[in-house]
Amino acid sequence: MTDHDVPLDFGDPADLDMLRRELRAWLTEHPLPRRRNGEPMAEFLHRWHRQLHSGGWVGLDVPERYGGRGLTALHQVAVSDELGACRAPGVPRIGYLAHALLEFCSEDQRARLLPRMLSGDDVWCQGFSEPGAGSDLAGMSTYARRSPDGGHYLINGQKLWTSYAQYSDYCLLLARTDRAAPAHSSITAFALPLNRAGVTVRPLRAANGDDEFCELFLDDVRVAVDERIGAEGDGWPLAMTTVNYERNALDTGHLSKYGLLLERLRRQLREHPDALPDGLVSAVGRCVVDYQVLVAHTRRRTAERLAGRPAGPESSVDKLLMTRAEQRLYETALAVLPEELHRDGGAVYGEYLYSRAASVYGGTSQIQRNIIAKRLLHLPSAS
Amino acid sequence: MEAEEFRLVREALRAFAADHRCDTAEVGQAERTTAQKSLDGLGLGELRRSTPPLASAQECALLAEEYGRQPLATSFLGTVLLAPEVLRLLAVTGRHAPYESRPTVALTRDLRFTGRYSDADHVAWDAEGAESALWIGDDGTVRALELGGPAPTTDLLRVVREAHPGTPDSVLGRLVPEQLQAWRAWALVMVSSELVGAAASFVEQSTAYARDRSQYGRPIGSFQAVRHLLADATVAVEACASATRYAAWCLDHAAPDTALAAARVAKAEVDVSAVEAVYAGMQVFGGIAQTWEHMAHLYLRRVRVGATVLTGTADLLTALALPPSGPHVVEAS
Ligand SMILES: Cc1cc2nc3c(=O)[nH]c(=O)nc-3n(C[C@H](O)[C@H](O)[C@H](O)COP(=O)(O)OP(=O)(O)OC[C@H]3O[C@@H](n4cnc5c(N)ncnc54)[C@H](O)[C@@H]3O)c2cc1C
Repeated sequence: MTDHDVPLDFGDPADLDMLRRELRAWLTEHPLPRRRNGEPMAEFLHRWHRQLHSGGWVGLDVPERYGGRGLTALHQVAVSDELGACRAPGVPRIGYLAHALLEFCSEDQRARLLPRMLSGDDVWCQGFSEPGAGSDLAGMSTYARRSPDGGHYLINGQKLWTSYAQYSDYCLLLARTDRAAPAHSSITAFALPLNRAGVTVRPLRAANGDDEFCELFLDDVRVAVDERIGAEGDGWPLAMTTVNYERNALDTGHLSKYGLLLERLRRQLREHPDALPDGLVSAVGRCVVDYQVLVAHTRRRTAERLAGRPAGPESSVDKLLMTRAEQRLYETALAVLPEELHRDGGAVYGEYLYSRAASVYGGTSQIQRNIIAKRLLHLPSAS
Repeated sequence: MEAEEFRLVREALRAFAADHRCDTAEVGQAERTTAQKSLDGLGLGELRRSTPPLASAQECALLAEEYGRQPLATSFLGTVLLAPEVLRLLAVTGRHAPYESRPTVALTRDLRFTGRYSDADHVAWDAEGAESALWIGDDGTVRALELGGPAPTTDLLRVVREAHPGTPDSVLGRLVPEQLQAWRAWALVMVSSELVGAAASFVEQSTAYARDRSQYGRPIGSFQAVRHLLADATVAVEACASATRYAAWCLDHAAPDTALAAARVAKAEVDVSAVEAVYAGMQVFGGIAQTWEHMAHLYLRRVRVGATVLTGTADLLTALALPPSGPHVVEAS
């Protein structure tokens, strides 16, 4: 235990209850949208995003002048909670992008980009990974060459796994701006409009049948200097900020989704106690523990954040705990609800398949362990 | 407590632990007595004497974590945190005659919460310096048991003694159902906290070892297999810490049944993860951790027995998967 481990307030601040009630009231007046026949998931989610925004429920922790509400991460968590509890689709997954823009954009860019990101007028995706650069992101080869007069860049290369690029207007793109300099100081970030000449988006089908991620081909794509985010070389710290938020236990609407499935499993045990082998009661108990530990852990992180401790490499701990909870939960769900094991296209089976990706996206579980060993435990490196 | 006051109390406890930490499992009675006197001298017994108490549950839990970090042969949990809380709760309802003896808690012989029959087989747990043991029945009845000779235990630093009803049978009072829930939650949280401290400290010590020890001409902490082992142990410890600290906060701020549910989650996490974390640490130490002289087995013994103290994991998991219904159900675990 370090001296940082002082008593924390795990409770909700007083105004949070009001916010929750306000949101519940709003939800009764604005019923959840229905997914239309054949409507792609991403489009349905986009409609939902706009509806939420119209009520002021997007970007609660983003300052008001950029279209948010200037509240705290805790308020954002409460909104996720409430939406999950009434089985609404989650909050739009823009929190981590918004934080990266807040931290690295110029004032002019913030004012131009953030309000439209929050409102859903512009949909964003994240173009970091490449065929040759996954875990080793610094090994990316997409190259942005500055024009001789310095007025623009020409970008060439290929991105992979760019989620929802086919539905997006902008890509937060990382590219090398210097081939000679060390990787970590030669990567630069851009806000790339995807309708720009030279950009080709090709969707890939995921294991669960969804068309989530894409390949992105960049062929002499011309971007202006004021479309660059931060200075040349700021791309690496920007990427690290993004992934820290992405891995963070706070910025996800997963918790309430897990909670609902867990309730279903417990109901199954209660109502059909004899239909299932004994060991499954313990297995569900284990999932309850995982889930409640994650709830407690999230509250601890929130309390630490409110007490003034910034997000850092310990978000790798959060990500591993979340992965543990999710993968064990869906594994157990297929055992407790055997009919779901044979229902391809069903929600549970689809989410089960997606749970296998939890140890890959946002940095694999091995990479999270590497980060913990290096940045939290300060273990010596091989050289 | 004020933040500064808490810091000072924790520092005093830390200094005590540094002075009296055990390097081996063989501790003489004289040494134990001296250490216990020194611990008692810190006056931590006062923290929960009054109502409202001087220290919050969360503060007490953090102190239990601190205490758990070093191998110690004194009694902190039984005689300072668990039994006095029973007496405090009894005093709140005024159903209790003044009790002069210094008690620890009675548990069943397999170290579970006591249940229905006070004449069943019981032991006094964590009994260094104790003069009696409190038996707490499922209906809330609190009795004082008398102490007998030493009882077997594999946690060699922890004193466990035989305990049996005296003549005449001495009933001290009765906890109302909510108090019984609150006390069980309290006990689960404090025991869990001690184990969190033990696991965290042992993982830190094995991490330090991984930085120093070299094989193949490089520190073993540079091998990815070792790094990942320690990273996983760290995640396990963090999960335990989050769950127990949150449960401790619930003791201060939530209804007893909510606090008990959170305490069960914490104990269930700690039962598994604290043991796994110590296993990982031992693996990192290699052969040296398998010797009688090394402190590793002191930590292993503490967490391995600790994982069964008060309630077993199997019972906890069942209770968490199938929660009982009704507002006043207080189950044995
Ligand atoms: C559903 C999904 C959505 C995604 N969305 C996006 C997105 O929107 N934008 C984006 O940029 N990317 C996205 N990704 C990409 C994701 O970040 C990468 O897949 C991930 O970083 C791993 O890279 P890789 O697939 O190339 O695997 P590799 O890096 O090739 O890894 C293969 C295996 O080797 C292991 N490994 C690699 N290096 C090490 C090491 N140093 N030590 C130990 N083990 C190692 C890995 O753990 C893994 O098990 C998404 C991925 C998925 C699955």
